[in-house]
Amino acid sequence: MKENEIDNVLSKAARAPQHPDPTVLAHIGDSIRSSMRPIRPLPPAWRIAAGMVAVCAAVALAGAVRAGLFGIARMGLLERLLVFPALVIFAWLAAGSFAAQMIPASRLRTSPGALLALGTAALLAVFAVLFRDYHTDHFVSAGIACLLAGLFHAAPAGLLSWLLLRRGFATRPVSAGLAAGTLAGLAGLGMLELHCPNFQAAHILVWHVAVVPVSAALGALLGWAYWLRTRQDDR
Amino acid sequence: MDFSDNLEMLMVRYQQGDFSAAAALIDCIGPRLHRFFVAQSISRVDADDLLQETWLRIHKVRHTYRPGEPALPWFYAIARHIRVDHYRKRIRAAARERELEEMSKGASPAQPVSGADGELETLLAPLSLSQREVITMLKVEGMSLEEVARATSSTVGSVKQKVHRAYKKLRETIGLRTGKSSSGGPL
Repeated sequence: MKENEIDNVLSKAARAPQHPDPTVLAHIGDSIRSSMRPIRPLPPAWRIAAGMVAVCAAVALAGAVRAGLFGIARMGLLERLLVFPALVIFAWLAAGSFAAQMIPASRLRTSPGALLALGTAALLAVFAVLFRDYHTDHFVSAGIACLLAGLFHAAPAGLLSWLLLRRGFATRPVSAGLAAGTLAGLAGLGMLELHCPNFQAAHILVWHVAVVPVSAALGALLGWAYWLRTRQDDR
Repeated sequence: MDFSDNLEMLMVRYQQGDFSAAAALIDCIGPRLHRFFVAQSISRVDADDLLQETWLRIHKVRHTYRPGEPALPWFYAIARHIRVDHYRKRIRAAARERELEEMSKGASPAQPVSGADGELETLLAPLSLSQREVITMLKVEGMSLEEVARATSSTVGSVKQKVHRAYKKLRETIGLRTGKSSSGGPL
């Protein structure tokens, strides 16, 4: 059976009238009439994304200034030129992905999960090329301190980003949470790169980069909790 | 000016608080969303309820439509969200019914939740929910691949893949009904 034959069968079947009860349509009109008022549409996605990247950069910078800018001071020119633009590009893509998840029917080029996987792999590649000190001192204790510091800065970045998009509507809250968590995690990673002077490859590749997927997972968990709460409210 | 341009203009006027634009949109989009629900094996009564629920949600989040963007996928994205919620509620309700049934020995057999029996629904019945919604939007509503991707929050590639799999399944089931083999020749 050919494709156009299936199309014909489907279009013939779809011709059968399936109109809703006219009173339903009238009832819908009546129910929204009293609350009709002009509303302000959301700004373009690029403007929302730019706002979120600026917020995340501000959180990372403020955290690093407070803790000391030891990391960037120790970096060479090549490291600065590769690490920070890579973080900004990833943050821009994550912000766009978050905005797309919060605005129904936005164009989606990659899913938030795929973006997280590809972006994390790209960051790992950049760090693996730049940092080649393979010694490990206080791997776990120093690493956990950095992971927690990164997550501590990811939290306000995520909250402020969500505030920027609070008027949005997530049709898929878990995906929206994943994208928001990825963006917030990049703010935490940015803070660590500005602050942390520990350039041991294992420390950066494991504990610094881990801030992004851990934050993304926490974001997805929050999205899931939000979805459960709205489901209970609907009952 | 074609139908879709008109939709976008009506949507902008709706955002500006024009009730006549809202009423025109309800008349124009309402039946299409209703058909979308019915095609997902939802009974006509439930489809009426879902249509009302969808419009209340559309009204609440109408600021998330951005002028200049295609309006049809935006409507379907919200309808789809409501349909997914309904599907999950239905599964929970069915699970509760099963529990109650097991508790009471002489209970009568459970009634099917769906009451839809139209030809389109029968044709699409063998497909998975995600394949059914993609086929309904693409082949029944006449939306483009890009519009379906927007409405389902997925990529064009993923929509193409679902359509390909749905056609494979439809070829088998329609072929069986009409006596044609899936390869195109007689059985």
